[in-house]
This record gives sequence, C-alpha cells and structure tokens, in this order.
Amino acid sequence: MDNGMEGMLDTYLFETNSLLDRLDEMLVADEKDGDFSVDDINEIFRIMHTIKGSSAMMEFGSLAEISHHIEDLFFYIRDKGIDSLDPQHKKELFNLMFRSEDFLRGQVEKVEAGKALDTDLDSFSADINNFLKKISGAQVDEPAAQDAPPAPADSPAAAPAAGGENLPADKDAACFLHIFLEEGIGMENLRAFMIVNAVKECGIDFRYYPENMESNSETTATIIEEGFYMAFESEEEANKASGVLRTQGHIRSYELVANAEPEAPAPEPPKASAPEPPKAPAPAKPAPKPPAAQQKSAAQNAPVKQNLISVNLMKLDSLQNIVGEIVITESMVTSSPELNQLSRDGYDNFMKSARQLRKLTDDLQDIAMSLRMVPISGVFQKMSRIVRDMKQKLNKDVRLTLVGEETEVDKTIVDSIQDPIMHMVRNAMDHGIEDDVQERLDLGKDPQGEIILSATHTSNEVVITITDDGKGMNPDKLLAKAKEKGILTKPENEYTKKEALGLIMLPGFSTNQEVTEFSGRGVGMDVVKKNVEAVGGVVSLTSEEGHGTTFTMKIPLTMAIVDGMRVTVGRSIFTIPIANIRQSFKVLPDEIIRDENGNEMIERMDSFYPIIRLHQFYNIETDVVNIEDGIILWVETSEHSFCLFVDELVGEQQVVVKPFPSFLNFFELKNFGCGGCTILGDGNISIILEIQSLYAAALENS
Amino acid sequence: MSEQLNNQDFQEEPVAETGEETSSVERCLTFESGDLVLYISTNYVIEIINNHTITTLPLMPSYIKGIINLRGQILPVVDIQQLMGKCDPDGPEKTCIIVLDIDSVSLGIVVDSVRQVIDIDLKNVRPIPLKRQQKLLNGMVTMEDGSVFMSIDCQALATPQ
Repeated sequence: MDNGMEGMLDTYLFETNSLLDRLDEMLVADEKDGDFSVDDINEIFRIMHTIKGSSAMMEFGSLAEISHHIEDLFFYIRDKGIDSLDPQHKKELFNLMFRSEDFLRGQVEKVEAGKALDTDLDSFSADINNFLKKISGAQVDEPAAQDAPPAPADSPAAAPAAGGENLPADKDAACFLHIFLEEGIGMENLRAFMIVNAVKECGIDFRYYPENMESNSETTATIIEEGFYMAFESEEEANKASGVLRTQGHIRSYELVANAEPEAPAPEPPKASAPEPPKAPAPAKPAPKPPAAQQKSAAQNAPVKQNLISVNLMKLDSLQNIVGEIVITESMVTSSPELNQLSRDGYDNFMKSARQLRKLTDDLQDIAMSLRMVPISGVFQKMSRIVRDMKQKLNKDVRLTLVGEETEVDKTIVDSIQDPIMHMVRNAMDHGIEDDVQERLDLGKDPQGEIILSATHTSNEVVITITDDGKGMNPDKLLAKAKEKGILTKPENEYTKKEALGLIMLPGFSTNQEVTEFSGRGVGMDVVKKNVEAVGGVVSLTSEEGHGTTFTMKIPLTMAIVDGMRVTVGRSIFTIPIANIRQSFKVLPDEIIRDENGNEMIERMDSFYPIIRLHQFYNIETDVVNIEDGIILWVETSEHSFCLFVDELVGEQQVVVKPFPSFLNFFELKNFGCGGCTILGDGNISIILEIQSLYAAALENS
Repeated sequence: MSEQLNNQDFQEEPVAETGEETSSVERCLTFESGDLVLYISTNYVIEIINNHTITTLPLMPSYIKGIINLRGQILPVVDIQQLMGKCDPDGPEKTCIIVLDIDSVSLGIVVDSVRQVIDIDLKNVRPIPLKRQQKLLNGMVTMEDGSVFMSIDCQALATPQ
C-alpha cells in the first residue's frame, strides 16, 4: 500500500469511527426518549450513506453492504415518517440499530487490525431486510415496497436533480453530463468554461450548454441554479470526460444523464455522482441513490468539516515541546546576567519588550495546552451504551446519570482512562447493583438502580467518580476471600476497613466466583489501578454495605506541565510537585524522635511522620547535615504522608516535564522516586521527584 | 585541553591504501580514553561538545555519569572507562563528550580527548585475541605507524546491562 492509500485509510478510519460515535450518541439518547426524532432519522440516513460510499470506495464490502441495507431501511422510515412505526417496531429498530452499529464497529476494527472482513453477511442483511419488510408490510397503503426499498425502482424519475425534463435540445447527443459547481465560487460561467476547455484538451468531442457561457455573463445565474451540460455522441466519450472532471476543482457534483430522445436507450441510473473527496468516485455497485439526498448530505456536512480539523497527535506533541522550550528560552534570555551591562534606559526598554514577550509566550502556552484538551463526554457516552447493553443482558433496571460531561481533559489521559472507567462501570452493573429488585425494595431503595458517573475539575486535577447505589461491599467478606487467595500481608485483624476495601485492587483478586461475560476475570481492579497510576493518578474507593460503592479517580489534568517547588540538595536541584507539598518548616534537633535504628520522625498535628533525608537517601554530598540548618518539607500523596529534609527552598516554578531518555529506562529511575526531569531557565536540568514512589523506595522497601 | 583539541578536530588524514577496494573503508573518529586509542564510525557520531554541565542522577551505577541538556534534548552520558571496569578517580574531571546516535538511541560518552577522523579499512580489523569476554570493544586494527586502535561495540554501548 503506498502512502497515499495509507493516508486515505487513516482518513477513512477516522471519519467512519467518528460517524459511528455520533450514531451511538444518537441511538442512546433516542432510546432514552423511546423515539427517534426526525432530525436523527435524517442524520442516521446520512451517516449510513457516507459510510456506505466511503467503504465502497475503499472496497470494504461488508461495511458497504450492511450500511447500504440500513440506509435503505432509513430511507423508508424517513419517507414514511417515524410515527408510522408502532412502539414494538421501534423497540426492535433500536435493537437492530445497536446490533448494526456493533457489526460495523467490529468490521472497522478488523480493518484497523488488517484482518479479512466478514463475507457471510446474508443472515444479518436478511435480518435488516426482514425488518424492513415487516414495517413496510404493516403499512397498508404501501404494498409496493415489499421486497426492496423504493429507491432503486423510481429514483431516476423521482430524483429532482436528474433533470431529464430540462435537458438541452440536442438530438445527436446520446447522453449528457450534468455538472453543478460549488456554491459561492464566483464567475461561474468562466469556471464552467475552463472546465469545458480542460475536457476539450483531452481530445474528446462534445458540445456544451449554455453555448455562449464564456461571453455571456448572464448565463452565470443559470449555471448556479441548474448547472451546465456537456453533450456527448456516445456514452464512452462521456465516461472519458467524467475521468477528466474528477481532476477539476470547484465541481460540487456531476452526473451522467441519458438523452431523453425516443431512440436513446432506456433511462440509465445516474452513475458517478457527488465525487467529493474523500468519498470520491463511488462505484455504482450499490443500488443508485437519489442524488438529491447525496447533495443534501454533502451540503449539511460541509460546515462541520470547516470548523474542525483532525491533527496528528504527534504534531501536537512536538508543538507542545517547542512551546515549552520557548517558555524556558524566554526566561533564559530575560534573566541573562549580560543584561546588567546595559545602560539604564536600554535596560528599561529591554524589559518593556521582554514583558510583552512574556505575555505572548504565556498566551501561546495556554493555547498549546488547550489544543490537547478534549471533553470527557466521548468516554461517558460509551458508558451509556455499555449500561444499556448490560441492562438487557443482566435483566437489571439501572439508569446511568452523567455529571460534568463537558469537563476537559488532556487527550492522552482520556485515552488511558477509558478502559478503567469501562471496567468500573461494568463492575458496578454486574456486582454492585442487586440482582433482585425485591432486595432493593426491602432496603427501601428505588427499584431502579442508579449509577452516577461524574467528572469535575479541581485546580490541577480531574476527579472522576463512579457511584452505584447497589449492595456495597462487606470488608469481612473481602478479607476472608483475600485470605483464601493468600494475598494478605499482615494478620487479618490488623486490617482497617479502608485497607480491607483496598484489597480488591490487588492482582488476582476477584470476588465473583464465576467468570461472567462482563467482569470477573480476576484481572479487574488491579489493571484499573495500574492504568490510572500510569497517567499519574490514584484510585480510591469507599463502600457502605447496603448503600453502594464509590470509586474515585484523581488524575492530574495534564502530565506535561507541573507546578513545582525547586529545592537544593548539595549541588543538585530537585523539583517537587506543589500538589504534593503540604507544609515546609524548620525544626530544632530536640523535636526529632528516633526509633531503635536511628530513623528520624517528627510529630505534627498529633501524628508522627518519618523524615527522609534526601542527601542520605541519594548519597549526595552536602554541607547541610544538621537538621536545624536545612528545611523540612511535609509532603503527602493520597496514601502516604511523610517529611523530606532538604538543604534549601529555591522557589516555585511551572516546569515542563520531560521523560528521561529511553536509554535509562533499564535502570527504572521511577523506582528511586525520580519521575522525570525538566530544564530550568539557566539551562540546567532538575530532577522531578515523584513522591509516591519515593515513599515506596525510601520507607517501604528499606 | 579543549583548545588544543579544537585545533586538531577533524583533521583529515586519509590512509593511503592503494589497490584496496574502497567499499570496506569506513570513516572513523578516533579518541583517547585512559591509555587506549579507540575509534567509532562517523555514521554514529553527531557532534563533539566540551565543558557541558552534567547533571548527576542519584543511585545510578558509576558508569552513568548523568544527563545533559543539549539544546532542549535530554541525553544520557556514559563514562566508557567506568563501563570497561577501569576507574581512575584521581584523574582530572573529563569534559569532552562525543554525542552518538546508535540506531536512534541518543547518548553521549565522556572521553579524555578526541584525536581525528581517519579512514579505516574494515578488512584490516581483527578480533581481540583474548578469551575473556570483552565488555565494550569488538575489534582492533594496526595503523601504518604501528599504533593500535580499538573499535567500540556500538550495540553493546546502546543496550545497558
């Protein structure tokens, strides 16, 4: 496959996936209302039409065929109005649509994975056709549409744009090409003439109407409204010409129309129409569509495409990197010591420009950051679908409430939390909500279960909670189970309730005795925890037996920029994320308490906290070894709280986090508390400490 | 030291080997590390930098000198002498870094000094005739003047162990 094809495939996958996402969103929303809105019917029709066209172009037969059948179905529904369906049919239609969506997605995934597509589509397409028959059979006044949708039979006649009645009078012509130009391009008559010339240059013999378009500017209006015609002696020539047209710009659509002369062959269905990139020359294999619909879909999709463009994430990454560098370089320049040699006036002038530069770089940074932010609604929508499917399969009545869908999160984070959220929603459906409605009624709860999925921002984190009002978890049962699996690390009676609940996040722990379709493979929560931690987040849970369970994920908004406190230890400069710092203070030697091994601790707010001397832990030479000379930083993570002893605080700064070179991955710096590094204003490198792993390295494993 | 280096950096000294096929001749950068003269193909060499501040990383093996900021790119720096198991703690602080790109792994190596770029005929390169497994060197070549240069095993260098 050459590059051009790869690019087309990328575009195709992106387009099809976003269309399927849109379809999913509509279906879930419509099912909630129990009805399709007219707009949505039109939209589904358009989506299917686009998928059909582009799939046919890419030669993905199964996708093209199924979407074609659905398109037919919706053509019928659109034609008759959704109200002609009775509620039972609507319900079946929803199920059919969800099945179709899954099928299409499955095929798209196969395309992505480079696998062969399904070829045995008969049963599924028969299902769709049977449904169509069923609803059209129920329709007393429409017996004709039994076998197939009305589209193929009467489209050439019914289609308003077929334009048979307006064909120019040209007896010798076997067929015409009817061409429409794009709207609002200006000087339409001349553009039409240019197209005509381009075709002429290829040695094709034809006539064109209006004949005097190049000299008579009054033809412009006609061309805008009715398009223009090229008349050919034979169909072969017309086909040649349409090949040329494909290379021409400003053409909205064109179609081949047979001359309505008596001796001309029977009216042929319009062939290639709407050759817009990317769904260019749609082969005539699927039954022809009314061109009107095609043009309509093109017209309605157009404005959306102009407002949004898809950009390779790699490009955004490098943009962000460069912006980060600019911010750093800017402060390098403005804090350069050579500036002191400037005259007073010169310095003032310089600072004035520097301030302006600072403002611009700040703006640039904000924009670069915001580019990567996407609303979390995409992930949440998928959950609606999962809840809907599981509701039917598990026969539980549950509603999903979404809160804060519009919350924006870094794209990489959205991608990596989708699976964890899905897992937790499934768990909530499968294990959380009671199997028996009576159980809920006995406890005085609403018979309909509820799962609340919410996302909120704090200053530097996004908090996602998944709450169910189901049966909750019993810490004693969890403990017993963990004991049975042999994953307890201390005597059973020493576990607090919180620790007992935390057991479900250990690898190999699954409370469900049997493996179900949805959850219970014993790889559940520990994978969730790992995924969330991979993006710097933490998972915690609370559960009240009989009242439900709440999972809380706290994830940093972006991993690229951190508010950090710079501290020195000897000649090294470390950056500690401000989010982890609780307090900093000086202590006197007699406030320090030591255990039998000489480990130091300090009392703060009635609790004791261990002290890690960074210079000792990292073997860094420093003059500051007396506890009263340096400074204590009280740091905390969601799970641990402890103190760090450092030489000096330098200052607060936003820093761009850079990963360590991949060469060093072998040494697993993360295990020693080094989360990444950053380049300081003076070009030096500072190591960013990761408090969570520092705790593990310094206190848990020692 | 660095000034003297700059003067002789990249002085061309093509080795005249008439009658040999040119295809096996490779341009190599020679440099000194400890008492050895080593060479590395210029295909891997990006640049040579002097007097760059190396940020040390805590709790790393001694041959990982640290990381440097090379125009915004963060590169690891390896002390090849430490890697070869020779350590000379009393020697002067080495500041000459050769930046390499070995199969898109970027890293710097600290050396005592850089000599010059020469052409080395790979046909003349012989294996090191010692049974003991060589950690980092994978060949030796005798030059016309009788001096012996050693070849660095780039793959071994790029895969930490």
